[in-house]
Amino acid sequence: MPTLHVLSHSPFGDERLTSCLRLLGAADALLLCGDATYALQAGTAPFEALNTRRVKLFVLAEDAEARAVQVPDWAEAVDYPAFVDLSIHHDKVNTWL
Amino acid sequence: MNALTVGARAIELDKDGFLVDLDDWSAEVASALAAVENIELTPEHWEVLELLRSFYTEFQLSPATRPLIKYTALKLGPDKGNSLHLNRLFKGTPAKLAAKLAGLPKPTNCL
Amino acid sequence: MAKSLLIISRQSPWSGPGAREALDIVLAGGAFDLPIGLLFLDDGVLQLAAGQNAKALQQKDLSANLQALPMFGVEELFYCADSASQRGLANLSLDEAQPLAAEHITALIDRYDQVITL
Repeated sequence: MPTLHVLSHSPFGDERLTSCLRLLGAADALLLCGDATYALQAGTAPFEALNTRRVKLFVLAEDAEARAVQVPDWAEAVDYPAFVDLSIHHDKVNTWL
Repeated sequence: MNALTVGARAIELDKDGFLVDLDDWSAEVASALAAVENIELTPEHWEVLELLRSFYTEFQLSPATRPLIKYTALKLGPDKGNSLHLNRLFKGTPAKLAAKLAGLPKPTNCL
Repeated sequence: MAKSLLIISRQSPWSGPGAREALDIVLAGGAFDLPIGLLFLDDGVLQLAAGQNAKALQQKDLSANLQALPMFGVEELFYCADSASQRGLANLSLDEAQPLAAEHITALIDRYDQVITL
């Protein structure tokens, strides 16, 4: 029963990413959008956490691009139609509001 | 203003007939509210009203129908904690009407 | 058969509407007999601290309201053990809530059809 976890808040000064990584199941995927894409800012603690853990990771391309965040090769940049596909192809979506 | 006259006092009610100030409640007020609904309060009514007031004291909210039934069954036994009995006493809408007569706020989860 | 729903409540009790909103969803679901569960995570576990006083802030008594969950038919109550210990919570006000380690939370989320995190 894989879950797609969606984060949209900045990982700096917020626990969502840390808690999400703690609860993420082996078959689950993580999608970063909005300010959550700052987690891929190279050299930061969230970046290192994601780089070490290497979960199934997707990033909303336009949100990363707008913020000058480089998407590393171990994450997949997606557009909105691909986001919708991901939502459909997981059993459920858990959006961390 | 929607008001209920009890003795010489005018008690303020909201548009649905619930007490605006919960501290206005008394046995006389309950009887007067019941009279508006054409109900004469019997001991069977009173024990439910008292139960509702203790529910509110404990949980600080008015129960919807299911929790009211469950709480009544817990405190007064299954003969009284069932929808048949409570519906009969309170014209088919026990959570809403009994809360009104017991001087509680309108149950918010009673949709 | 209605879909099962897990609410993850992760906001502290007095700083905003999040904790109250999560509880309202759960109470409404319980009133309709939906299969619903509630997990307290991160600052959400602070809602369970014993000895809180809503009157000090002239707010509705969230702690008292939480005690009503079993009456609303909500028996699936959990909290993240790590979140509670990080915050030094020893005495919890909701006896029915069970502590869960991270790997059990993953399994918990798996079990439900839908999840809402507030």
